[in-house]
Amino acid sequence: MAASEAKRVLLVIRHSPYGSSLARASIDLALAAAAFDQDVSLLFLGDGVLQLCPDQQADAVGSRNLGRLLASLPLYDITQVYVDADAVTRYRLDLAAAPVTAQALDRQAISQLMGSHDHLVGF
Amino acid sequence: MIYSLLVMSSPASGHCAMTAARFAQALVARGHSIKRVFFLDAGCCNGSATAVFPQDEDQRLEPWVTLAEQNGVELVLCIASALKHGMLDDSEARRYDRPAATVHPAFIVSGLGQLVEAVACADRLVTFGG
Amino acid sequence: MILHTLNASPSSAAFADCLRLISPGDALLLLGDGVYAALPGTPARLALDDSAVQLYVLHDDAAAAGILGRIDSAHLIDIQGFVELTERFSRQMAWY
Repeated sequence: MAASEAKRVLLVIRHSPYGSSLARASIDLALAAAAFDQDVSLLFLGDGVLQLCPDQQADAVGSRNLGRLLASLPLYDITQVYVDADAVTRYRLDLAAAPVTAQALDRQAISQLMGSHDHLVGF
Repeated sequence: MIYSLLVMSSPASGHCAMTAARFAQALVARGHSIKRVFFLDAGCCNGSATAVFPQDEDQRLEPWVTLAEQNGVELVLCIASALKHGMLDDSEARRYDRPAATVHPAFIVSGLGQLVEAVACADRLVTFGG
Repeated sequence: MILHTLNASPSSAAFADCLRLISPGDALLLLGDGVYAALPGTPARLALDDSAVQLYVLHDDAAAAGILGRIDSAHLIDIQGFVELTERFSRQMAWY
């Protein structure tokens, strides 16, 4: 893998944490990319912002706690985390209480973010 | 150009997985190379050797097997998704003491690192979901 | 510039998110249940026309849906056309 030129990859995460297995898959991919020293950024878009709810108690439904998984992202040097400002407003989320620090972007900034990466992976 | 494909579509619902297979065939026909097709989430069921589809519908496995066997396309099932969906190759069936392997031998079961590498190597990444 | 692919009906969150993030010069390929967004005169289609996106519809999926006769043939492409779009656009975003 060292021989390939570095590609910037943006994971666009649009699904809520426990409604499907896509949220878990997207975070697992982010962690795998970081483990292979790849440049990976995360964008929580639309319903994806619901992953940033604080106080997730996934053990109540027998699932892995995705909020806790997100909180571990900085340990893997994943710091480029972005969130859809419109959806944050729509769901009245408190980003200050989110499990991971995420930069809120408006529509135009999200378009620019998507245009600045080599590959987009939509979840 | 070098392509990598990510398939999250189930073969049992909708026809996006078959669109992905036809897309891969069209890539080969146009002279592109495919680094890898990675199957994630419900997409891993595309590698099922045991699924039976109605006789009045297209067979969902055969196009992938043809791509692997005739065009040398590497087909990789995400191991975490595969195990959850009961998709086990011989070694996983033995490891978890299950009665039979369910993955067709044209497919490899491996980790997300294979997707990371496929994305890093590709000029184009095309994702099929839903 | 981005090639968006939409495999979800115009009532979905996927459609709304996609529509919101289409930029001038982007292309949109409708496939699966996404093909219904191309139906002329519907709110979804009017919104797509307003966005000035280059609109494409996967022929066979429109045929299966029974809406082939309502889609201008200029928008219809086959699987090879899909490949050609990915040659032209270096990034793809899958909405589903």
